[in-house]
Amino acid sequence: MTTKHVIATAHTRSIKNRFARRFLRSLLKMKRSNRLGTGFQSNEDIRKRNTQRIKTAADRSMARVVGPRKIWSRALLFKLRNRARIQVGLRNRCLVSKKKKVQRKEKKVQVISREPNRADNLRKLVPGGDSMDICSLLEETAHYIKCLATQVKVMQSIADLYST
Amino acid sequence: MDGSGDNNGDLGYQNRAESVMNCPSSGMNTNPFYASAWDPVVSLSQPGNFVGSSTGSQSEFSNSPFPIVMENPGISNTCHLVRYPSDSGFIELVPKFPGFGSGNFSEIVGSLGLTECSQIVNAGCPPNYKEANNESTSHGAQRQEDHQLSEETTIGALPNGKRRRRAAESNSPFDPNKNAEGEFQKYPSGESSDSAKELDEKKQKIEQNRGANSCGKQVVKQTKDNPQSREAPKENYIHVRARRGQATNSHSLAERVRREKISERMRMLQELVPGCNKITGKAVMLDEIINYVQSLQQQVEFLSMKLATVNPELYNDVERIQSKDILHSRGGNEAIRGLSPGTNSHQYSHGTFQPGIPVIPNPNPHFSPAHHAILDNELQSFFQMGFDSSSAIDSLGPNGNQKVLVISTQQTFVSIFLTCRY
Repeated sequence: MTTKHVIATAHTRSIKNRFARRFLRSLLKMKRSNRLGTGFQSNEDIRKRNTQRIKTAADRSMARVVGPRKIWSRALLFKLRNRARIQVGLRNRCLVSKKKKVQRKEKKVQVISREPNRADNLRKLVPGGDSMDICSLLEETAHYIKCLATQVKVMQSIADLYST
Repeated sequence: MDGSGDNNGDLGYQNRAESVMNCPSSGMNTNPFYASAWDPVVSLSQPGNFVGSSTGSQSEFSNSPFPIVMENPGISNTCHLVRYPSDSGFIELVPKFPGFGSGNFSEIVGSLGLTECSQIVNAGCPPNYKEANNESTSHGAQRQEDHQLSEETTIGALPNGKRRRRAAESNSPFDPNKNAEGEFQKYPSGESSDSAKELDEKKQKIEQNRGANSCGKQVVKQTKDNPQSREAPKENYIHVRARRGQATNSHSLAERVRREKISERMRMLQELVPGCNKITGKAVMLDEIINYVQSLQQQVEFLSMKLATVNPELYNDVERIQSKDILHSRGGNEAIRGLSPGTNSHQYSHGTFQPGIPVIPNPNPHFSPAHHAILDNELQSFFQMGFDSSSAIDSLGPNGNQKVLVISTQQTFVSIFLTCRY
């Protein structure tokens, strides 16, 4: 028993655990909000919306866990925040003000033009990859792959919980 | 003395000669060579002399035991009095050498003689040797050929391993100084060992071998050193040694470092991406990496879709999972047992909890919010009970992916024994 307890505590701080915790918390939140406001849409739409929400929740929680230390996590959080803002704006129909805000934010994104490179596809895949040189791009890719793999594992195990 | 020196420094630029010469307390009784081109000239506090050169003025050296060598990298404006006998009242000599391309200086230096230079080399650097060459070397790119000369002569005079930069393109054939250089070479190499203080990946400074005198083709990149006199911000340089038979150009060395970094990262990625052990070559490797990242992202999407369809059950049990299951399953076993409460909700009216859930999209209409609330509360109380049942954990083997689905008798809950091997 003690060994298991020790094992548990030794790994509580790993990326996987932190991500799992956060992800589940966000799922809880989603559940509560689901309870409140559904009923008008068809089930298909509900499912699609939930898919998207779950995906963003997973991405956001992963980015939060990693923290602002990595370029890709910062870029991912930024993108998600922008997207949320746009959606909120559309919902509230305050298009003008939100657009202005969004435009202001967009100016902060730097654009670096380069010759077409083989690594361009990689830049598209990794969030924030446009503004990195090859060296840091590779580093960020390595970390990103690691975190993606953790994410997949955790989500897989959650899904397995219910699908056996 | 210092005051006079400061005055000279303040005064400005042109035609220092007279003012300095007239300065009685300077202690400089000799060497009236100040170039008019020199900008602020600082007089020595020492009875020693300093070397100045000018385009037109005579260059006279006193044969004092303290020859002063100036470092003059490029068109920068600093010049240092390297050696002064005993005193710390050292004033910087800050001449400008715009018109420095005169042959006079070579004469001066030539007359300075190697012996003197070597004296300088052996001299210790006084503690408040200022770090103006920090600024000076920043102008290194604008070196003129003639300045190479002074630079070479002063190299040995920088015993603290100040940064030296020789432009690769400089071709000045300063023969008289080649020998001096040979001597000086020892010095930097000796110093690089102690001055390997700060390393940085970005900047690298090279001292280039001048062909004939170099023994082997070893080039040592100097590290920039800040002596204690200055609290300048730390600048870090990488210490790289070129191997035999490799180009020793500063650019190529920098490139090589960069290439090595990239290949090191590619190796790291090779370990992460499964199935890439046999791939050699960056291009193929990159494609593999791209494919892998794409596949991972697709997996995430697919799994989120799957989770969305599993939704309601997921929501029900989220708290339970959150507390126990995923978080502690590092190759370990987790047993969560939940018991059905007395008041069961009849959501699962159709009986058992279907394993093939993803096919069933909408259990939503079956549930009413009230039931959810009840379930949640019960859940929380239950897993606390259930968690203590560690005997269940022991009963399961440590290895293997065993999934046991236990359906409660009242068929309201699903309790799952799950072992996940991560």
